[in-house]
Amino acid sequence: MTPTGLEPARMNRKKGDKGFESPRPYKLTHQVVCINNINFQRKSVVGFVELTVFPTVANLNRIKLSSKQCRIYRVRINDLEAAFIYNDPTLEVCHNESKQRNLNYFSNAYAAAVSAVDPDAGNGELCIKVPSELWKHVDELKVLKIHINFSLDQPKGGLHFVVPSVEGSMAERGAHVFSCGYQNSTRFWFPCVDSYSELCTWKLEFTVDAAMVAVSNGDLVETVYTHDMRKKTFHYMLTIPTAASNISLAIGPFEILVDPYMHEVTHFCLPQLLPLLKHTTSYLHEVFEFYEEILTCRYPYSCFKTVFIDEAYVEVAAYASMSIFSTNLLHSAMIIDETPLTRRCLAQSLAQQFFGCFISRMSWSDEWVLKGISGYIYGLWMKKTFGVNEYRHWIKEELDKIVAYELKTGGVLLHPIFGGGKEKDNPASHLHFSIKHPHTLSWEYYTMFQCKAHLVMRLIENRISMEFMLQVFNKLLSLASTASSQKFQSHMWSQMLVSTSGFLKSISNVSGKDIQPLIKQWVDQSGVVKFYGSFAFNRKRNVLELEIKQDYTSPGTQKYVGPLKVTVQELDGSFNHTLQIEENSLKHDIPCHSKSRRNKKKKIPLMNGEEVDMDLSAMDADSPLLWIRIDPDMSVLRKVEFEQADFMWQYQLRYERDVVAQQESILALEKFPTPASRLALTDILEQEQCFYRVRMSACFCLAKIANSMVSTWTGPPAMKSLFTRMFCCKTCPNIVKTNNFMSFQSYFLQKTMPVAMALLRDVHNLCPKEVLTFILDLIKYNDNRKNKFSDNYYRAEMIDALANSVTPAVSVNNEVRTLDNLNPDVRLILEEITRFLNMEKLLPSYRHTITVSCLRAIRVLQKNGHVPSDPALFKSYAEYGHFVDIRIAALEAVVDYTKVDRSYEELQWLLNMIQNDPVPYVRHKILNMLTKNPPFTKNMESPLCNEALVDQLWKLMNSGTSHDWRLRCGAVDLYFTLFGLSRPSCLPLPELGLVLNLKEKKAVLNPTIIPEAIAGNQETAINPSSHAQLVGFQNPFSSSQDEEEIDMDTVHDSQAFISHHLNMLERPSTPGLSKYRPASSRSALIPQHSPGCDGTPATKPPWSMELARKGTGKEQSPLEMSILHPVATTPLSVFSKESTSSKHSDHHHHHHHEHKKKKKKHKHKHKHKHKHDSKEKDKEAFTFSSPASGRSIRSPSLSD
Amino acid sequence: MADTTATAGAGSSGTRSGGKQSTNPADNYHLARRRTLQVVVSSLLTEAGFESAEKASVETLTEMLQSYISEIGRSAKSYCEHTARTQPTLSDIVVTLVEMGFNVDTLPAYAKRSQRMVITAPPVTNQPVTPKALIAGQNRPHPPHIPSHFPEFPDPHTYIKTPTYREPVSDYQVLREKAASQRRDVERALTRFMAKTGETQSLFKDDVSTFPLIAARPFTIPYLTALLPSELEMQQMEETDSSEQDEQTDTENLPLHISTDDSGAEKENTSVLQQNPSLPGSRNGEENIIDNPYLRPVKKPKIRRKKPDTFW
Repeated sequence: MTPTGLEPARMNRKKGDKGFESPRPYKLTHQVVCINNINFQRKSVVGFVELTVFPTVANLNRIKLSSKQCRIYRVRINDLEAAFIYNDPTLEVCHNESKQRNLNYFSNAYAAAVSAVDPDAGNGELCIKVPSELWKHVDELKVLKIHINFSLDQPKGGLHFVVPSVEGSMAERGAHVFSCGYQNSTRFWFPCVDSYSELCTWKLEFTVDAAMVAVSNGDLVETVYTHDMRKKTFHYMLTIPTAASNISLAIGPFEILVDPYMHEVTHFCLPQLLPLLKHTTSYLHEVFEFYEEILTCRYPYSCFKTVFIDEAYVEVAAYASMSIFSTNLLHSAMIIDETPLTRRCLAQSLAQQFFGCFISRMSWSDEWVLKGISGYIYGLWMKKTFGVNEYRHWIKEELDKIVAYELKTGGVLLHPIFGGGKEKDNPASHLHFSIKHPHTLSWEYYTMFQCKAHLVMRLIENRISMEFMLQVFNKLLSLASTASSQKFQSHMWSQMLVSTSGFLKSISNVSGKDIQPLIKQWVDQSGVVKFYGSFAFNRKRNVLELEIKQDYTSPGTQKYVGPLKVTVQELDGSFNHTLQIEENSLKHDIPCHSKSRRNKKKKIPLMNGEEVDMDLSAMDADSPLLWIRIDPDMSVLRKVEFEQADFMWQYQLRYERDVVAQQESILALEKFPTPASRLALTDILEQEQCFYRVRMSACFCLAKIANSMVSTWTGPPAMKSLFTRMFCCKTCPNIVKTNNFMSFQSYFLQKTMPVAMALLRDVHNLCPKEVLTFILDLIKYNDNRKNKFSDNYYRAEMIDALANSVTPAVSVNNEVRTLDNLNPDVRLILEEITRFLNMEKLLPSYRHTITVSCLRAIRVLQKNGHVPSDPALFKSYAEYGHFVDIRIAALEAVVDYTKVDRSYEELQWLLNMIQNDPVPYVRHKILNMLTKNPPFTKNMESPLCNEALVDQLWKLMNSGTSHDWRLRCGAVDLYFTLFGLSRPSCLPLPELGLVLNLKEKKAVLNPTIIPEAIAGNQETAINPSSHAQLVGFQNPFSSSQDEEEIDMDTVHDSQAFISHHLNMLERPSTPGLSKYRPASSRSALIPQHSPGCDGTPATKPPWSMELARKGTGKEQSPLEMSILHPVATTPLSVFSKESTSSKHSDHHHHHHHEHKKKKKKHKHKHKHKHKHDSKEKDKEAFTFSSPASGRSIRSPSLSD
Repeated sequence: MADTTATAGAGSSGTRSGGKQSTNPADNYHLARRRTLQVVVSSLLTEAGFESAEKASVETLTEMLQSYISEIGRSAKSYCEHTARTQPTLSDIVVTLVEMGFNVDTLPAYAKRSQRMVITAPPVTNQPVTPKALIAGQNRPHPPHIPSHFPEFPDPHTYIKTPTYREPVSDYQVLREKAASQRRDVERALTRFMAKTGETQSLFKDDVSTFPLIAARPFTIPYLTALLPSELEMQQMEETDSSEQDEQTDTENLPLHISTDDSGAEKENTSVLQQNPSLPGSRNGEENIIDNPYLRPVKKPKIRRKKPDTFW
């Protein structure tokens, strides 16, 4: 957990106090993006970009940009045609159809592929050669204008088209398109420097249908008709330097609403939703006011736009001066439950406008600062808007989440430092993915990362006070806004980037406090603290002997040393003690203030100064202790398991005013099913002043307790009389009052109580008939006619309650489920579900909450054996065209069915949907649900686990999901859950065994594999573009000599190695005979700047030098080097050796010879082979969606 | 005069049914009248000195006569109705004849001509009787303000009502019970009907009718049904709104109103603009308080781009 050698690693940190050092040999100052044609029918985009770039080194001869998916037609630099090469190793991570299938191998290769094109490290998929005519110009560091024409056809990621298939024009159909993606994904829709650290000003132009609106970043300068008056062009200017990753776009027939409170804020929604938009956004100005006030800083952009779109990638996405929301966040005034959620989304996006969009980050390892600050100020807004109770409850929830996640997976590291790049130093070796790049992270990890980041910010606040905290933020913002106004001093713009060290420095400047230990504990190190506490009261000494143990050996834990607050509530009052947790001391003696002899008349003072009467008869007569709390302020990221007597928990629940304490005691009371616990919980339930969420969880606890004490339970079922008293008519207690949800607290309680009651079980472990009748009556007498609010959530919860009441059917073995043997209670339930589900078709509820609940209930009935288990119904509801909530609920049921019934067919159906569904969110969600509820796990025997499935999933993560980072990482997660890190157990072992020895392998190789492998290769196309490019470059530049850019991190990964060698090919200099400068001088020059450029240490392994000499000396083709050398020289495991050797040879039988035959002879064969291949690939270029084709490289003018 | 209209009506139908052999009394009546007209034509021909005539020519003349008489009747009716009467008077006929270019003065002389033949009145055939409806009760006489020529009141049983009085149910429990079961019955009946008439899904393979589920049908735009309140809710909202949210609407509507106005106006602008680009500018000044770039008019393309065809 604790990376050893942390301190030296920090020393190595390159981005030190000196400020930002660009990884690029140039500075981008301005970029024009012009999209002049958007075709909704064909889902295509045509346009160009123009980047204004200042070289910062003299010998800049190639420029790397980020671009994915785009088909690039033509590149010109200062109006001169420029050759370019396009290589995206992430398209297919592992090139060979190796039989390896080992996730460890894949994750390394994937991380290497991502790094090879990582814009944060100055890399990119698109490499442009500066025309030789401009070399002199470059040497004078004069401006370059790079003009790139590109198009995008049916993008699978980055831009999402929503085109409903109805009659009418695109505008009438509500067709729209918007940019989306996870982290820096702008390169998916136009070529750029897709890094959060490269800021520039922007001019954005979008020509769209006259009935459409294009919303983008910055100020809308003007809108101009085209000559035929059928289209209009939106011209945007963004003068605040912004990273390409924060550029966004939304085009559609939007309805426009100018915010009535802030005229510079404009809201957009899809047709017909304007009334909802008005209501939803009517609150936004208050969020604005709040942030501006606490940050004492005006909103940095001159305008703000919110766009609500369908099929959103994420609910909230913040970009420079605009945020894109899911249209499903819109709601009318009648909806209760969605309102706070939507407001939270709005507030979240606005917080990210300040920290995330306006202030960007230097590198990925600084991401936690931005996420932390935006999450923290969002928390402050929560506190102000929803109150301290809600805030503390939320913090507790987040803390529990992160603790659970870290303990499960082994830790979340906020500030990863990668010193030296040796894999063994990988700080996240416990994970099945690399945390070096945002794009290799599991989505769940990333959400937890954000959660931890804001919790740590709160810890910093605890340490330095909120006032200082806000001053630091203000300082960051004012530095940035000064820098942003420096229009022509682009070197100043790096002030708008935040780094960990800069942030910490500003904290120490402002507060004068040293928070280094805190940072070291929570930021530079992963893991949480696990405390076990118990105590004894020593009557003689009047001392509380507290024992606090820690578990710091389990995965995800760390040792805590430092202060720990303990609050002791005694008869005489509440006292805080700060204990010093040290290495070896477990016991702490805390002197008590009160005498155990108690004065019965006296009121007991609480922590908040309140004095209350308590019935003290329950407590131990000898002890003055009422309850004890460890770390009540949650100032450590921890899990506390504390032992105290049941009456103490009961006192804590009744009298402690902190909602977190109440929540904790409710959780603890589950273990004490006694009448006293029951009474305490019932009292809390009835107490109107008590926080509603506490009351809600008391309901569930009460149900559990009632079930534990079922044999001794007296009186009506738990909560029934309470519910009757609160919500039913006085004269007829079986009839619920007509709905009136004006009081939200009682609304939530009214919703929850029946759900909890349905969990009650009698001695036969059945839901009591009385409870079921009660719930059915609630449904029957539900009357919402006089209510101001919609009751859709309430009704949905009633169905959930029905589902909760279902118990497993008593069945004779494998009896077929038919109507005749249906349990009469179930018949009643089914009757209700049928009616509800059918009524939804006629009078749909908001967000179809009722359908969602019905589907879940039906699955429960199936699972419990009352209704035949059948996925057909769910599959029909999961189809595209249903509302997304319904689809997810239905898919969840199918996933569950797949697991329970071990159905291969359904698993295939799901996998098919993962690959083909039009909605990215749904695809992501299916993977997510399959991972959470897997059909089998790695140590399990299952008929589903077979070779074909391994192949399928491998293909999915290897090449099938290259257009969506999140999806790929989801596929990796699923693969990990199903098969683990090593080779899946279901794969036949013998073949693998043979692979170990190449000679043997050749001899025994199953002949059926060979054709399969060839076929497979041709099908999946080993990065078609790379071959195509070879043809383009092989002849003119038959050799290369630049090895200086080999990233040491990835050297032993063949994939990265190859990609680097591919990069070499584009070098313009001709060996020996170079017209411009001698090759040797050039290669000598470059290493001088290379360490700064790509972060590799200057030392190179000897073999690569040797390689270079060989390469230039013998005029060896670079391609061959890439094939031969890893095999010959890299210290690889035998497994990966096998794979590397076959990396670039398409035919398995071919590479076995490789090692035996003489190299020279072999070279020719290879050359031949590749020519042959490239011809094939050329033909295939259209079938693959690879954007760059060989033709366009060789003769850019051809494509015009 | 009284039967002019009848003649006219009979004439037209007579021509249609002439060739047919009908036994129905109305047809008989028409045939008889036709025969009479033929007799008239024949006697006029005899008067004029013809000895014999072809059947076709007699028919033609009959037809002409009939048309002439019909036209007189129709026209006279129009005149009489024009003066807000229902019964034509002599003067109506006179005016009609004048209108038709007939010299009325010659009529008395013609009627008194010496050689005229007198035709016997056609035999009165039995009028078609409308079957009498059962009369129940006394028909109400017209009140004084209704003219007598208006149709009579229908039988009393068609309009009278007899209110019955029952004790209204006021017991809360019964009321709720009733409302609940009524709603449930309606819902069940409705959904069952929908399920019966459309496609269904079933939870049980062996039984599709006990718990019929209306089949799930994907929408083209699923978010609309999911987000917009249903009509029922809208209705409710209006009711509650009007009573409780008065003060809210006052404050909220004012600025919101402007913005909706403008977004609507913007659409208009697009059409207005094409004729007169300077118009929206003046409009902006006077009423558009909010200056938002999305509300500004769309500009016309710059003219310096001479060749739009090549540009696009």
